[in-house]
Amino acid sequence: MPFISNINFTEGTLVKRSLETFFGIGPKVSQSIMARFHIQPWAKVGTLKASTLIDLTAELSNMKIENDLRREIQDSIMRLKDMGSYRGRRHAMGLPVRGQRTRTQIATARKLNRTLRGGDGRMGT
Amino acid sequence: MYPTRALLSRSVWKGPNIVPLPIVRAAPGQKVVPIKTQARSATILPNFVHQKFQIHNGKNYVDVTITEDMVGHKLGEFAPTRKQFTYKQTKNK
Repeated sequence: MPFISNINFTEGTLVKRSLETFFGIGPKVSQSIMARFHIQPWAKVGTLKASTLIDLTAELSNMKIENDLRREIQDSIMRLKDMGSYRGRRHAMGLPVRGQRTRTQIATARKLNRTLRGGDGRMGT
Repeated sequence: MYPTRALLSRSVWKGPNIVPLPIVRAAPGQKVVPIKTQARSATILPNFVHQKFQIHNGKNYVDVTITEDMVGHKLGEFAPTRKQFTYKQTKNK
């Protein structure tokens, strides 16, 4: 069972997919990481050498991902809220922040905008 | 830290929106006189910090004390212009 950054992945998983399970890594970043370590786009985690896995873990530990990133997002929203700005208030109310209409179509804002934002992941665990 | 969206959308060659405001350093011990202004689009500059402002919200003037976090934002961001909707019971049906 290969480990990347202390997370266990099954051997058949694509490296791209397994990288993108981390909060803060999307298609673009995973592509650039894999290019840097000479990993084929369709390579699976099982085919990686142990040294490559260690390199990947080292790379991820230097990046701002997962809870560090969540905390940064929450801090910047809290900053807006604490100084009493309009944007902070809109975040707290769960309404659109950048002047969109609110008569209809605010489902995304209702879902996402809150002061403790940052995905529904492994925060706290 | 990013500047505000309003800054990002403004041309660089224009610089921040600097509005001439009567900024006077109050002598220690004296009361800080609030600056009454309607210039909601004025960018908050570092020399505004710890000053008191009365910012127009379209109807009356909202008291705001500027803190260091607010530098780079606009004055108008701290004076809400809309009233919260509250339901009022009608007397005569």
